[in-house]
Parts: sequence; structure tokens; C-alpha cells
Amino acid sequence: MKHRMRTRRWMIAAAFLILGGWICWAAVEALAAEPDLTYFRQAKINWRQFEGQKLTIGLNKHPYTESLLPLIPEFEALTGIKVEYLILPENEYFAKLVADLSNARGEFTVIMTGPMRNWTYAAPGWILPLEPFLNDPKLTDKAWYKPEDFFPGLIAANRWNGKIGGGTGEGALWSIPIMCESYILAYRKDIFDKYKIKVPTTYEELAEAARLVKKNAGIDGVMARGTPNTPTISTGYISGAKSYTDGKWAEADQNMIARLSDPRHVNFSKIWIDMVRESGPANWANMTWYDGMETFAAGQAGMYPDCDFFAQTYEDPKKSKVAGKVGYALLPPGPGGRTYSGLWTWALGMSKATKNKEAAWYFIQWATSQRTLLNATVEFRNYNPSRASVMNDPRTQKVLGSWGNGAYVKTVQENLKTARVAWVPNPERGRLGDIWARALHEIYFKRLSPEEAMKRADEEINKIFKDIGLQK
Amino acid sequence: MSRPHAPARQRDAILPYLLLSPGLLLLLGMLYPFFLGVYYSLTNYYLQYPHLFRFIWLRNYLKLLEDPLFSYSLRFTLGYALVAVVVQVGLGLAVALLLNSRIIGRGVIRGMMLMPLMMPPVITALMWKIMMASTKAGILNYLLSFLGLGPVNWLGAMNSAIVSVFIIDTWGNLPFVAIILLGGLQSLPTEPYEAARVDGAAGWGVFRYITLPLLKPFIILAATFRVMDSLRIFDVIYAATVGGPADATMNLHMRAFFYAFQWYQMGMGMAYAMVLLILVFLASYLLMGYWRRAAEQTSL
Repeated sequence: MKHRMRTRRWMIAAAFLILGGWICWAAVEALAAEPDLTYFRQAKINWRQFEGQKLTIGLNKHPYTESLLPLIPEFEALTGIKVEYLILPENEYFAKLVADLSNARGEFTVIMTGPMRNWTYAAPGWILPLEPFLNDPKLTDKAWYKPEDFFPGLIAANRWNGKIGGGTGEGALWSIPIMCESYILAYRKDIFDKYKIKVPTTYEELAEAARLVKKNAGIDGVMARGTPNTPTISTGYISGAKSYTDGKWAEADQNMIARLSDPRHVNFSKIWIDMVRESGPANWANMTWYDGMETFAAGQAGMYPDCDFFAQTYEDPKKSKVAGKVGYALLPPGPGGRTYSGLWTWALGMSKATKNKEAAWYFIQWATSQRTLLNATVEFRNYNPSRASVMNDPRTQKVLGSWGNGAYVKTVQENLKTARVAWVPNPERGRLGDIWARALHEIYFKRLSPEEAMKRADEEINKIFKDIGLQK
Repeated sequence: MSRPHAPARQRDAILPYLLLSPGLLLLLGMLYPFFLGVYYSLTNYYLQYPHLFRFIWLRNYLKLLEDPLFSYSLRFTLGYALVAVVVQVGLGLAVALLLNSRIIGRGVIRGMMLMPLMMPPVITALMWKIMMASTKAGILNYLLSFLGLGPVNWLGAMNSAIVSVFIIDTWGNLPFVAIILLGGLQSLPTEPYEAARVDGAAGWGVFRYITLPLLKPFIILAATFRVMDSLRIFDVIYAATVGGPADATMNLHMRAFFYAFQWYQMGMGMAYAMVLLILVFLASYLLMGYWRRAAEQTSL
């Protein structure tokens, strides 16, 4: 009898313990599942007016994407809008995106795009200008969203008036930038100091510095992208070409007549290719941005004129042998004394075939808000930030400010004063770049003279532009 | 009288179609994109300029002839397939013979042989690309340095890039050939060999006059698969060289890809793909006929 009573008491105690545990667990779960929406609720708009609608987002694999995914439940809790997404590697992403946009299927409502991409999507009217949403007080609390916080140059880069051959920085805003890259010179300060090599201020000096590094330190003097397609052109090379010609030369004129064979550009291509052939990597013709970055970080190269934010790899001792040894400088200017770096921003835009346009705008507004972008940079290393407030945040400054003893931030800020979208606006930029890069191969392997290679590239491009009706 | 039979007969008439229906559906699923591809190759279809869409008959095929890279990519495609099939089948036969003989650790080697087949070609190519780094950091050049050779500029020069792509492709596909031929070797009848032994034949004579003729259907089968795959090779080239340097490894498939999925010019892309399809079809048609004759001969 006594024994049975003790058993029952134990059972009651165990039941209470289990019940209590379950209540605690449920409470913790409920607290964890309830994101803190106070920041967003400060905006004077009704976040829930499109409750129940659905969005599909097309995303490219990128640090920003990584930062966004864990936050999507926050957006859903804030707005009651259901979000589905598809993430693809860059090449597949763009191919699928064009298929979706061109057929007006509206599978992707919000898309990841950027200045040069918008030229392809805006001309046939596949994407929507965002200002009507931005300026509608029912949809956007501008005082809360602070559009003026974005660096003006980056907003300008995402504007285009639709005129092929010109018009960037004017007209409609097609997308909102979530990060930016410009192109600078990363160089091995330790080697430059040791052998008293001058940080180059002309392209002839760049080639000379590369030669001296190779001769003295026994490593490749300079890294450069070299695969036979557009990426080879679109960073260091095009920035160099535009700077060398004082920003006055362009790959095509206003009537979309190709101008690669212009003597100014032919000269530049000669300097660049000679430099790469003499002092660059032996497998230049097969170098991707990634190979170049890895080689430089492994301490096997003297300079790399390319993306500024590669610095986060160079300065990470886990990934790099050159952390703390890298200097950062502007790419050499032309005779006019100014550098004209190219510019790229990943940005969010909206497909015209979207049924739930206002809901899509809510997503863009939330995803490009100060709080979300700050999180992407601080927690997920989404460099460089597109908002001044994120750039000036002490946590960002602490990281960026340490690179190159402050030279990184100084150089990038200086660079952004004159950096601009380097390409002439046209929907065939990718093909033009591919032909251009193949012409560089012809020069590199001495199959054609620079003059002849560029003349043939012009002919090929002009024929295509004419076929498509781009030439006036 | 016939009444009760009618539903049964009806069922008998429908049944084969019912059983075949998954296959027929699959066939439809294959034929629709195929004919769409043929149709697109006769149009001026750009993904990004829908307003230019027109039926232009064979003009894309005429434009192919003007394309500065068509003739090279055609020659490269054919030449590559020819060399690939000869070398890979030859090497595969050697490997199969080796694995069919009594060597130590045969089971382990046979198992390990399958590894390249399990890897996606893109991964294979990227792995080799790292090993083929042009500097001393590349493992291949490091190994060569012990022999006093190199460094070789594997993927960065025109001729060596072609050879490098070929090495990567061969590494990935040699086991396939070897396995087919090994299976063939193991299924050969033993009587001719016993008779040969009685007659005092050995070594090369047995191989030349017994093994090779009996193995012929298998060799042709392996060659057919390799010809088709080598004509269509894409992933290895794309991952290793993007068709460069200076277009050295540009084949028809790469060109079709560039037109269709980089420049969104579907009409031209499909025209390139159709030329490739015709080549693959012709080559496999010829080889399959040859195979049938060889199979009939050996079964006699």
C-alpha cells in the first residue's frame, strides 16, 4: 500500500515536470519565432495592407542572398505576404531570368539585377520603374526609408533613360542597389617597399612595376583576368581603358558604331597585353577573377587591378598569406589626371509581369532598408555597402578601416567620386564584351596585330548591331 | 455469342497502348522540344527582341557559313572526336586486357576504376584545372619537375589547352570504355581458346585472330558511345577553357551554347545545335550498322 502511494506521487511529480518543461519550451519557441518588428513598424505605412498575397523572388548566389534568407520570416511576419524564392548560380540565374522576363511569365517578381543588366531588361519593357512606388506615401514612408542615404552615384548608376548609346544616370530608376564594387589597384606593399618600386601613376609605369616585381621578387608581376569572355573586360581592363583615354573614348559611339579600333584604345590594349604577356601569369588566357584573387592572396603576384572588395580575402589571415602586406591605390589616371573606374552594383528590381506589384515593392523596401542592409554587411560581409549609414557604422568602419592601414577606405571613397558605369548603354553588352575579349586573345597570342584584331572585332560587332537594328 | 467477348477483345486492343503509354508520353516529351528546336533554327528568334521574330527559312544556316568560327569549330569537333575515339578505345582495350589478366589487387583496381565515372564532368574539369595550374603550385608541374620537365602551361596556351582538355576527358571516360570491353572479354566463349592452345597458338596470334574479332561488337559499341559523346563534349571544355585560348577549344556545342544562352540568339544557337545533331546522327547510324554486321558475324 505504501509502496503504491509512493509510486503515484512519483508519477504526479513526473507529470508536472513534463508539463512544466513543455510550457517553458513552448514559451521559448514562441518568443524565438516572434521577430522584433519594432524598427519596421516605425514606418508610417500599413505593412499589412497586402496580407495574404504571394511573391516569388529570383536570387543569384551571393553573400547578400545568404544574409537575406534567414530574415525572410521577419518580412512574412511583418506583412503577412508569403515569400518563395529560387537561388541559382550566376550564369543559370541570368539565363532563367531572361527566359522568364521575355515570356512575361512573372515567375520571378523581385529580381536581382544591376546597371548593365537593366539595359537588356528595360529596353523591351520587362521591368518596372520604381519611382512610382517610392513616391507613393501609401506605400513608402520616405522619412523612415531614407532614400537619400544611398550613395548618389550608385542610385545614378541604376537610372537609365532608355536611350541606347547613352543616358545612364538619367530617367527612370530601375533597381535599388544593395552593394557596390569599383576597381582599384591592390599591390604588395612589402615588395614595393623592399625593392623601392614606385606605385604606378601611368599605365607605362604599371607595366614597369609589374616587370620589376617579376625581376626582383620572382613572382608574377601582375594578375589579370583573361578568359575569352566579357568578365575579362569588365573590371580592371575597361577601367584602365577609360582612364587612359581620360573618359573621352567609348567602345561605341552614340549611333552604336563600334570604336574598338580607335588608336587611343589600340594603344591601351597594346600596353596592357604586353604587360600581361611579359609579367603576368603564364596562363593569363585561362584566368578567372577567382584564380587571380587566389593567386594574389597566396602571395604569388605583385599587383591585381580588379574588384576593390577582394580585399576582404586578402586581409583574412585564414584565407591569405598577404594579410597586412597589401597596399591599395587608385588605378593610374590618364594624361588628364583623373581615374575613371567602372562601377557595378547588385540591385533589386521588379518584373513587369508581377501580379502583386505593391507587395513586391514592400519586399524591395524591406530588403533595402537600413536595418536589413546593415545586417547583410555586419553579419554576412556584404561589401561594399550601398548606404552611407551602413558604410559609416562603427562596426563596418572597424573592419574596412583596418585594411591596408586605412588605405582601403580612403582609396574606395576617392574612387567612388569619379567611378561610373563604364560601358555604353546597350542590350548587347555581353556579346560585345565576348568579342572584345577574344580580340585580346588574338593580340596576346600574336595571331593578329592590335590594330588588325580591333578592326576585325569592330566589323563583327557592327554586323551584329546592324542585324538587330541597334545602329541608327 | 460475341457479346461477352467484346469487352475482352476491346481490352486486348487497348492493353498494348496502355502498357506503352509511359514510353509514348516520354517520346512525345522528347519529340516536342526537338521539333521546336528545328523550328526555331528556321527563325530569327532572339529572347530579348521578340519583335524581330520571323520565319526565315534556311537563312540561319547560310549565316553559319559567314560566322568566323563556324569552320574552325566544325573541324575541331570532328578532329577531336576522331582522336578521342581512337585513343580512348585503344587505351580502354589495354586497360580491359590488363584487368582481365591475373594481376594482384584486380578487384580493388576494378572498383577504383569506377570513381571517375561517378564524378560530374564539371567537377572533374575543375579538379584538373587546379592540378594543371601553370605555376609550380600546380601538382602536375610539381611532379614533372622531379623528371626535370616543365613547367607546362597546361590550359594557358593554344595547343596545350587542346591536349589538356583531351586528358581531362580521357580520364573521365576511359573507365567507361574499359568496363564495356572487360565485360566483353569475360563473356567470350572459351572453346576457340582451347582449340588454339591445342593447335599451339599463343600470345599475339591468339589476340589478333581470336580475341580481337570476337570482341569487335563490343569495341564498336564502345566506339559508338565515345564518338557521340566526344562530338557533343561541352561541360569539360566550358569549365576548363570556355572555348579558349584564342578559340583553340571552341567546338560546335560551345558555339551553340554561346549563341543560345549567353547572347540569347536562339535561332542561331539552334542552327548550330542542328548541325551537331546531324553529325552525331550520321556517325552513330554508320557505327550502329557496322556493329550489327559485326554482331551477326561473331554470333555465327
